[in-house]
Amino acid sequence: MGTSGSGQSPIAPADSVARPAPDAGPLERLRELLLAPEVRALVEVRGRLADLEASQQALARRLPGALEALQGEAETRRMAAALSAPVAQALGTAVRTRRQLLVDALFPVIGPLIRKSIAEALRNLVADLNAAIESSFTLRGLKWRIEAWRAGVPYAEVVLKHRLAYRIDHVFLIERASGRVLWHAAAPELAALDADAIAGMLTALGDFVQDSVGAGEGGGNLESATVGEHLVWIASGPAANLACFMRGAPPERLRSRLQERLEEVHARCADGWPEQGRPLPEWDGLLQPSALLSAGDAAAPATPPARLWPWILLLGLTACGLVAWLLGNHVWDTRIQALRARLAAQPGMIVGAIDSRPWRSLTVHGLIDPDAPPLDAGVVAAGLGGVVPTLALDGYVSTDDAVVARRAARLLAPPATVTLGVQQGVLRLEGSAPGAWLAAARERAGWIAGVARVDLAVQPQADPAAAALLELRGLARELEDIEVPFTEGDAPGPGADAQLAAIVERARRARVLAGQAGVDLVLESVGSNDETGGVEINRRVRAQRAQWLATALAARGIDGVRSTDVGSGRHRSAWLRLAIGDVP
Amino acid sequence: MSGATHKLCLLGDFGVGKTSLVARFVHSTFSDKYLTTVGVKVDSKQVALPGRAAVKLVIWDIAGRNALDALGRNYLRGAAALLLVADGTREDSLASALDLLMQSRSVVPGAIVTLAVNKFDLLDEWEVVPPVLVELRRSLPVFETSARTGEGVEAAFADLAGRLAS
Ligand SMILES: Nc1nc2c(ncn2[C@@H]2O[C@H](COP(=O)(O)OP(=O)(O)OP(=O)(O)O)[C@@H](O)[C@H]2O)c(=O)[nH]1
Ligand SMILES: [Mg+2]
Repeated sequence: MGTSGSGQSPIAPADSVARPAPDAGPLERLRELLLAPEVRALVEVRGRLADLEASQQALARRLPGALEALQGEAETRRMAAALSAPVAQALGTAVRTRRQLLVDALFPVIGPLIRKSIAEALRNLVADLNAAIESSFTLRGLKWRIEAWRAGVPYAEVVLKHRLAYRIDHVFLIERASGRVLWHAAAPELAALDADAIAGMLTALGDFVQDSVGAGEGGGNLESATVGEHLVWIASGPAANLACFMRGAPPERLRSRLQERLEEVHARCADGWPEQGRPLPEWDGLLQPSALLSAGDAAAPATPPARLWPWILLLGLTACGLVAWLLGNHVWDTRIQALRARLAAQPGMIVGAIDSRPWRSLTVHGLIDPDAPPLDAGVVAAGLGGVVPTLALDGYVSTDDAVVARRAARLLAPPATVTLGVQQGVLRLEGSAPGAWLAAARERAGWIAGVARVDLAVQPQADPAAAALLELRGLARELEDIEVPFTEGDAPGPGADAQLAAIVERARRARVLAGQAGVDLVLESVGSNDETGGVEINRRVRAQRAQWLATALAARGIDGVRSTDVGSGRHRSAWLRLAIGDVP
Repeated sequence: MSGATHKLCLLGDFGVGKTSLVARFVHSTFSDKYLTTVGVKVDSKQVALPGRAAVKLVIWDIAGRNALDALGRNYLRGAAALLLVADGTREDSLASALDLLMQSRSVVPGAIVTLAVNKFDLLDEWEVVPPVLVELRRSLPVFETSARTGEGVEAAFADLAGRLAS
């Protein structure tokens, strides 16, 4: 021992510096030697202290008033700046010495924060689980499913177990007081480390935590610490602590296991702990990482022979593949049946063979009538997974009613007023149509392929041109009988005006009708005479009377009338003749 | 290979060079930067002893202080040796070291003690005068050390290790 016995004497109170005890040891004498000048200074300082105290009390009385008197922003800001450092320091001191007060004050703020972070953590866990469950069709997922199936537990439980995987890197048994390592073990592949320093730091940390939390003996032990992915759990005992360094997420039951093991270590050393550097051999069995890991997990079901599962997996995969292939083919076949049915339902189409390679290509052989309604590409390709069918179709003549109707419509080109329908080979035409179309239809309908009988129920439509011609002809006949009488030469007789008016009216109407009927119309004024008089004179008189009528008509708006004389006369008169051209 | 392991605590006022002494002894390094120690820093070193089994020192570099509080006393528990450190250029640091020694007695009554008066390379600025050291040497082993140059450092630790082994 380097110190003499007097080094162990009780610590001297401060006053003893001035009045040394007579039996003071050499260290005490040393203190006097060193401190004599300081004691003199102390007396001086005490005097000054009393003065200071008096002035301080006065200041304390004045201070609140002075602070309240602070006015103006600049002043306040200066004060705040001056106070910031001492206030910060005061807060620091408060954290150390008045912890509970601060905790109480901060509690309402911290509570929600903690809840929020817990919610966050839970969300992450759920996300983890979801990811795991979603990834269940990966190889690992399949393995876990098989494991769950073999063990008869829910899949999620297996996922949780694997997701919570962890490993133990180091185990320390540490003497509680000194922080010395009593025993240490590491996972085999880890690099050596300074176990003594780590155990020391851990102990110092524990002391520090206990001191700062200040919960007295037993309370406020350091139980766990995390650094990145590394985690330390510490079980505390009266003589020794057990520290376990891990990575991952260990289950809570490991914590109680650590405590149990530590208690066992204590129990076996009840009669005294082994000398330093001589760990008990049974500690190995109790505390090795492997020993801590395996215990309690024995309840897990015996795992199947390791080499079996790849085969089960392979078999499973093959079976899955086979089932998928068969399923795919079956689905394809039903789709083809559906396609055949769809095509067969098309009028004017006969479906023959359908050649296909499932989900790749498809050719439809068959016959189609040129008059069949066009195929809807969408209908044909529906449900074939993007395969575009090739149609290899030859022509034929269909007797399908729908197709025959389309053919009849194409050949007869009925006007909009005619409806056309085919039923069991009977072509029925209804409505009304111009006579010309009607005549053609009557002639051709019976020849259309697929038409066995024609039911022609079409009313002929009135033809305005023909009607106009008819009326025109009637007018021409009327006009032959409307004569303008003459007395002598070209002097009109009584009633001539009335006759003239009748002629004018009909001539106007005749020109309108000629336009409607589309025929050329020439108006000729004709003169006639009775049997008296000579031939030459009569011919002259007839010309005079025809000319008179033409002039009179021109005066009434009907011009272009050609005058002519007729050889044989009837009366002393003139009339209007209509010369109607050929029907176009 | 190893004989026993012993806990050694360094005690002394702020900035006297405790951390620097450990750095010199364990890692053979020195820095002019002053980073005050917070709490404790624990290191360990195997010390070979001529003709005897090596001794392993677990060295607790405790944050500088001039009085022992409860936490400080906790740190000392189980220590087999104390290395008091004072700064030769600050006489008050020597008083602090001795104060600390006396306060530590209640926790580690049996610990062996050595005093290192550090910063020997600044001898011109020393306030601790030789007569004081002579007086001190009568009570406990005293080493003048310099963490900067390494002078006396090995000797101080070796002295402790040797006494621990015996
Ligand atoms: N010149 C000289 N400087 C030294 C020596 N030892 C330490 N220093 C310097 O002194 C300062 C404090 O050194 P530290 O080792 O951090 O002191 P410490 O005792 O650990 O301080 P705390 O941790 O605050 O208690 C540093 O700037 C060091 O570089 C020395 O032997 N000579
Ligand atoms: Mg330091």
